[in-house]
Amino acid sequence: MSLEILLIIAFGGAFLVYFSGKISPKLRDGFAVFISLLLVLIISCLYGKNIEKTFYRGFFGLPLVLRINMLSWLFAMVISSIGSLSVIFSLSYIRDKEKTDFYYLMLLLVNSAMLGIVLTGDLVSFLIFWEIMSWTTFFIICYKRGSALAAGMKYIIMSIIGSMAMFIGVLSIQTNFNTLIISELSAKFTSASSGYILFILITFGIGFGVKSAVMPLHTWLPDAHSQAPTPFSAILSGVLTKMGIYGFILFFYFIIGLNKFLGLGPDVFNLHYILCWIGAITIVIPTFIALLQNDAKRLLAWHSIGQIGYIILGISIGTSMGVASGIFHMLNHATFKALLFLTVGAVEYQTNGVRDLNSLGGLAKRMPVTFIAALIGAFGIIGVPLTNGFVSKWMIYKTLILNTHPFLAFAALLGTWGTILSLYKFVHNIFLGQLPEKLKNIKKAPFDMQFSLIILSIVIIFFGILPGIPLKVINSIIGSAGFSALNISSIWGIASKTGTLNTINILTAILGVGVIVWLIFKVGRKSKQVDQYDNYAAGFPIPKDKYHYTVEYYAPFYRMAAPFLVDIFDIIYERIAKATENICDCIRKIYTGYVGNYVMYIVFFMAFLILIQLKWSVF
Amino acid sequence: MDRNQISKWLKNPAKMANKYSFHVVYFCTGCGIIEIPPSITTRWDAERFGIIPVATPRQANLFLITGYVSTKTLKAIIRTYEQMPEPKYTVAFGSCPINGGMYYDSYNTIKSLDKFIPVDGYIAGCMPRPEAIFIGVTHLWKLIDMDKADGYKRYREDYEFYRENQEQLFGELDWPPLFQNKES
Amino acid sequence: MNIIAIFISPLIALITGMFFLGISRKIMARLQWRYGPPVIQPVIDVIRSFSQMSISHGSLFDFGIILSLTGSFVLILFLPIGELCPLTSGGLIAFIYLMLLGPFGLALSGAIAANPNSSIGISRKFLLSLSYEIPMLLVFLSVMTYYGTISLVDIVKIQASSGWAIGSWTLVLPGIAYFLILPAILGVRPFEVVKASQEISSGPIAEFGGKHLAFSTLQHALHMFVGLALFVDIFLGGWTLFGLLDFLSGTAWFVILGIIIFLLKMTVVFVIEIFINAVYPRYRIEQAMNYLLKWPTLISFIGLIIVVLVK
Repeated sequence: MSLEILLIIAFGGAFLVYFSGKISPKLRDGFAVFISLLLVLIISCLYGKNIEKTFYRGFFGLPLVLRINMLSWLFAMVISSIGSLSVIFSLSYIRDKEKTDFYYLMLLLVNSAMLGIVLTGDLVSFLIFWEIMSWTTFFIICYKRGSALAAGMKYIIMSIIGSMAMFIGVLSIQTNFNTLIISELSAKFTSASSGYILFILITFGIGFGVKSAVMPLHTWLPDAHSQAPTPFSAILSGVLTKMGIYGFILFFYFIIGLNKFLGLGPDVFNLHYILCWIGAITIVIPTFIALLQNDAKRLLAWHSIGQIGYIILGISIGTSMGVASGIFHMLNHATFKALLFLTVGAVEYQTNGVRDLNSLGGLAKRMPVTFIAALIGAFGIIGVPLTNGFVSKWMIYKTLILNTHPFLAFAALLGTWGTILSLYKFVHNIFLGQLPEKLKNIKKAPFDMQFSLIILSIVIIFFGILPGIPLKVINSIIGSAGFSALNISSIWGIASKTGTLNTINILTAILGVGVIVWLIFKVGRKSKQVDQYDNYAAGFPIPKDKYHYTVEYYAPFYRMAAPFLVDIFDIIYERIAKATENICDCIRKIYTGYVGNYVMYIVFFMAFLILIQLKWSVF
Repeated sequence: MDRNQISKWLKNPAKMANKYSFHVVYFCTGCGIIEIPPSITTRWDAERFGIIPVATPRQANLFLITGYVSTKTLKAIIRTYEQMPEPKYTVAFGSCPINGGMYYDSYNTIKSLDKFIPVDGYIAGCMPRPEAIFIGVTHLWKLIDMDKADGYKRYREDYEFYRENQEQLFGELDWPPLFQNKES
Repeated sequence: MNIIAIFISPLIALITGMFFLGISRKIMARLQWRYGPPVIQPVIDVIRSFSQMSISHGSLFDFGIILSLTGSFVLILFLPIGELCPLTSGGLIAFIYLMLLGPFGLALSGAIAANPNSSIGISRKFLLSLSYEIPMLLVFLSVMTYYGTISLVDIVKIQASSGWAIGSWTLVLPGIAYFLILPAILGVRPFEVVKASQEISSGPIAEFGGKHLAFSTLQHALHMFVGLALFVDIFLGGWTLFGLLDFLSGTAWFVILGIIIFLLKMTVVFVIEIFINAVYPRYRIEQAMNYLLKWPTLISFIGLIIVVLVK
């Protein structure tokens, strides 16, 4: 099945869904699910193929190339799977809202554009698909109107700045090397100078950095992810931010090449070491800012920035285990971040839009499947053993410790502790604690929402117990980038000289001991089941709705750290935007609306030109 | 103390453990609480008997009603007693829970506590000294050995009697009945 | 050998943990000039709790405490006690992550009880964990970087030949830092913030009765054991005694003597901690966080810088 038919199905399917929505909603729903699942199926059939194909000659004199290799295949699988699960989730979520056809159109267009990005083989179509992805995302972020418009504005301005930087990079590559096809560029870059590579990395780095929310360029993410409709937030956090990562991997290892990239810069201030430190700062600060948030989606959005820091750290460290762990963490983060956002979506749908962590509570008894999914997602993102997050984090720590970068390892471990605290606050304030009176009659989430949650939870645990399955794919990716392959002893172990990881050991230990402890528990006397109002309150009756501790959940930490955990870059960018607005406001005063002023401007300018002609005879 | 006799432990470990590990609900119900801190601190060490106060009634198995019981405190006492896990024991201090004591003609105190919650033993005095408390504890051990400290079983079987008395005193109770009726 | 070790290790850990709880109460009593309960008292308490019929707030309430005790037992299986280390997978990094399961299970089970005392206790527990984990991670990183390995068994074996880690001048600062945060890991005063009886009605275990309380006592004992065992393994040379007993190596006697030496070292450290417990009152959570993030962090940070400079 050739790649252009895949893209035609993707894009055409989006428009087909839009038009069938005009006919009937059920037809549109069916088509949306069918197209998404068809894409997953086609891409999984393309496993292991290495195709490269020029599909259009002569776009302003440049050929447009499509290609697929292992890296593209992995990203395409992630994009299409998370996209299809999100579409299935949206079936109930969007049903009663307005402009649903437009929503489905934009959702499927974003998916198709992302597929286009990973399947291109030259930089022109890369830019085209990048731009399509940017503005379709802008449309969906502004879906709800109101405060979402400001968030979308921030996003699109920063995205355009990134795209313009990338455009400058593409122009310079075209003038220097006269080709834009990626497979040819990797040969040409071996002869480029260090300064030129640095320039290319900075321009493309700004573009990719905005999309993947690396530390100074991350300020659009909390607003955009919290204002977008929740199934789309899942795609935004899970997959869209990974497009920047795809760009980084492409440039670092496939275009510029491993040796040149690692040797860039003097000994201590290697570029990749600076990137590692940027990644480390991106892990620590946003994760602790996430602790202070009161809106469930903002908390998860700040976490996205933090986990992207792990991926950047893994990719930039330059060892084979590091890059493998970066790519694996990318895959894992897509699963558990999408899962967590979808659980918030389910809660929001059932409670009619309540997302504020201070007013929910105790929903574990009413929505058990959602609670278990949120718990598994929280375990995954923390990195509890037996989930896939643990394996990727283990690999990152190991490579950092054994290559004597203990401070980076410390930053990564500190991020984990911030994650534990904030994810526990998330799970506790929504699902544990006392059930408020107004939420007493919440029903369980509908089945299509539960379906997506269950599939993602199973994937998290499955990849945690048998990590060898995705690691085989990743092994071939890093092999093609020029690294030495990892020693994956079987599908459940990663072996190396100093310490192996054997997940089956951990699984059997936990299961075996768990069964024995459970049996001892059963031997004891049977407990009496009580409801939440039969509780210890020093002999007093339990007050309804007031016996719950959610507001300022980590109060001592807030008092200690809140003055330091401000988003400096947001304030800086807002100030720059305000200053620009003020300057432009001043310049606007030229347009006085009085025709006499305009005539005066014309006369003065003609006089100025005549003066120049008299003095220097320019014309 | 027969804490060292291994054969008794092997025959009935639950009964021996219930005797030698009294966790007391640290609920100050009346004036007699002034005698409890001396008995758990250094001079009259209660911890050598295994007695230690704990924070919540869920973790406790001995409830000390220290002193007079006013009607306001009785509600809290009943709720706390019902929150304790079984087997549980109640010991009343002083003469006020027996027959009203010093406040025999007051409108606000309970003259006989046994009508509202079952009491396993009384320790006479106004307030009993720590030595009297320890002698009371050893008597409670003997009662547990003879299976006569069955206040909790009486509460379970005669619950209608207790509930009726409680409702007569307070009117409508705002907690549901602890045990469902056997008939009806 | 491994099969026997899988069964013996948790048993040794459980017996030693309960013994530690018992001697802690006895030593505190003797320091306060009273007799104190018999050393067997925690076992009596556990038997009594287990025989009571308690309440339960739902299946998650049961699941949480089972998860917590399972986590602690699994942790014991990954810890080298004496020379028995049944499972080695993932080294010290996996160990740090498995240490999460115990408190997290307790947190789940306490929070579902819908009691704000539990919630406050759990939030303080996580804040205290964050505060003592920062110096603890720096300490572990110094040790792992200096020895160049992430496996606990290797760390002990290297110490057998090159002397106790706390004696070598590069690792003395991390050792001091770990000793300073040891009261917080064990939950003894002045850092007994989590199970504070008077302030928050015993925190997460407020609604635990009967078998739940028994399990949480066992989990507390095992958690104390793990904290002490890590200190002895990483800094005090594990089961080796300066290589004096190497002539017995390979025989069963060596294993048994190794376990005895290991437990003796742990007892010495524990008795020192009990003396600290007897003297200090309980810190508030802000004071505990302030202290833990100031001095032990500074000392372990300088220790890590020294290790990096040496390497």
